[in-house]
Amino acid sequence: MNRIITVVGARPQFIKAATLSRQFKLAGIEELIIHTGQHFDTNMSDVFFEEMEIPRPAYHLDIHGLTHGAMTGRMLEGIEAILLKEKPDGVLVYGDTNSTIAGALAASKLHIPVLHVEAGLRSFNMQMPEEINRILTDRISNVLFCPTEAAVANLKKEGFENMPVRIIKNGDVMQDAAMYYAPKAEQKSDILKQAGLSKFVLATIHRQENTDSPETLRNIITGLNEINRQIPVLVPIHPRTRSILTQLNITPEFKMIDPVGYFDMIVLLKNCKLVITDSGGVQKEAFFFGKHCITLREQTEWVELVENGYNILVGSNVLKLKDAFEVFSSKVSDFKINLYGKGQAAQIAVNEISKI
Amino acid sequence: MKKIILVVGARPNFMKIAPLMHQLKGDTDIKPILVHTGQHYDSQMSGRFFEELGIPAPDINLEVGSASHAEQTAKIMIGFEKVCIDENPDFVLVVGDVNSTVACTLVAAKLNIKTIHYEAGLRSHDRTMPEEINRLVTDSITDYFFTTSVDADENLIKEGVDKDKIFMVGNLMIDTLEANLKKAAVSEQKFTLLNRTGEVDINTLLNTGYGVMTFHRPSNVDEKQTLEALVEIWSEISEKIPLVFPIHPRTMGNIKKFGLMEKMNRPNIYLIDSLGYLEFIHLVSKAKFALTDSGGIQEETTHLNIPCLTVRPNTERPVTIWEGSNKLIAVPEILSETEAIIRGEGKVGQNPKYWDGKTAERIIAIVKKI
Repeated sequence: MNRIITVVGARPQFIKAATLSRQFKLAGIEELIIHTGQHFDTNMSDVFFEEMEIPRPAYHLDIHGLTHGAMTGRMLEGIEAILLKEKPDGVLVYGDTNSTIAGALAASKLHIPVLHVEAGLRSFNMQMPEEINRILTDRISNVLFCPTEAAVANLKKEGFENMPVRIIKNGDVMQDAAMYYAPKAEQKSDILKQAGLSKFVLATIHRQENTDSPETLRNIITGLNEINRQIPVLVPIHPRTRSILTQLNITPEFKMIDPVGYFDMIVLLKNCKLVITDSGGVQKEAFFFGKHCITLREQTEWVELVENGYNILVGSNVLKLKDAFEVFSSKVSDFKINLYGKGQAAQIAVNEISKI
Repeated sequence: MKKIILVVGARPNFMKIAPLMHQLKGDTDIKPILVHTGQHYDSQMSGRFFEELGIPAPDINLEVGSASHAEQTAKIMIGFEKVCIDENPDFVLVVGDVNSTVACTLVAAKLNIKTIHYEAGLRSHDRTMPEEINRLVTDSITDYFFTTSVDADENLIKEGVDKDKIFMVGNLMIDTLEANLKKAAVSEQKFTLLNRTGEVDINTLLNTGYGVMTFHRPSNVDEKQTLEALVEIWSEISEKIPLVFPIHPRTMGNIKKFGLMEKMNRPNIYLIDSLGYLEFIHLVSKAKFALTDSGGIQEETTHLNIPCLTVRPNTERPVTIWEGSNKLIAVPEILSETEAIIRGEGKVGQNPKYWDGKTAERIIAIVKKI
């Protein structure tokens, strides 16, 4: 393939796509980026693109702030029009957002091969819109780039071996990104100084299942408060979550700061003692930077972290959270094990694409 | 009382939804809401099918009209999402493999509304067919799978679907066929010819017998060379047995575009407009054989045990081959296969399990339990 169209829209997808963009350049493959507009905020300004060395989108669909159905629908229309005009050899999509399914669906109906990076991940919770997006995208992808062994196994269970598709375990592009940006992040970020902390636990909460139920949110805050009495907890918090806390009259004892960019996050991950999160990506990033992680969810797509003892799932249960904290307080782990490809994921993917 | 939205979009959906709507009439446990996406481009044709099949007028019509695949899917998603939010149903039931099927399933899944796919698990394994993409996508996110035959069950199990979510219920098309065959027999069978002046009365062809043809797949009719070869074969067959050909607008357009109309002007080829449902099933039920590239007729001929020659490299309805009277053939085989049928050596099949006219009854009974 000589000409690829990449469809991205959510912030993490830009970071993932940048890892492949660098390799496309080296391989002499032309790439055009469509930005659906799904994430649209100040963190996605020019500075973001410059700092992260992310190529500018060739097309901007500017679709955001809609319900799932309407958003996906509008994206489908916009992407199809561009694909008809540009006639790429393949359409590359990332992860599990509405931009991912819209890109995959538009391309597959035009008989353009779909390349899915982060294929095969499953949380086995169909209540999550991301799970629906993942499963649907995988089912119509022609080349499935899996970050892990578990992802490959999931696809096998769904009969992909008998389908006319290619499954390639290439590793996780987020590890590529973490390794690539870490030195730069340490140069640019002064978040540690700003936060005024040296020894701390880093926590993030953003999933609706945790923030939208007052009882669940109260449990999590109680748990974090208790940990904070032993070691300071630092929480970069979304304004939406902050206003929910205010509405519920909850005043956390731990320190909260405004949401941080990717570089600041890298520095926080590198310097914290432990990570507590309900995010999918942060669980892995904790591992990349050699940190244990407690996950505020009942399931995870990153089962290998749990199986190898780097991650404990606690849901919103205060007792389980405290137990997990105890376990990790005294645990020393070797983080050298190769679970995610050690930074070669983009190169392997682009090498495969160049051969098609 | 459970509230269930039933979705219809295109012509092949109508025959599947009709028996469900009849079954639900006066039901005190389930309240049906019929949503027509308006995907079918010909509103007159759509209205006629509704009337013939006795389907009540849709509660909601999204009127999306014809457009490219993505655009149509998009419009349906935008419209149907509003309907789901307003109505907040317990279930959304979709049928078949059209754009409406995939669009409405995706919308409902995202709103955490339970979805039921009737005609789940069919696979042609040919991803260049848009229907195959629709089937794969729909089945990847559906909650409950209602299938027409055991091969579909096997396909779903191979794709990791939980057995408890699969219900083999039989074929709704056969419910509709059974319910309408008698009514169809008394319908007028005189049609204006399109390949020459005059008209044809099907009843006058009954003595000699005739074959019925339908062709519309891009792989058969979109390229001049293939279409011309087909036209020549039809003409040769017509010297042995009359052929009645209700023609799809796409095929008609291409025949004209490629300058093949002259070659279609044969005394024994009866080229006519596409038909209403009753006229069509009557035509099929009296035919010696069917020569086709479409989906539904493979099932109808299997139930009627009429030899069917399907000019495609694959079929998503293999039970019509394993058990029924259907045969997959390539273009060069058409002539010899037709001759065999004329000699009385056509394929004889048997009726697959649960293709008995009681599928709607089974489906509604299951919906009440889940």
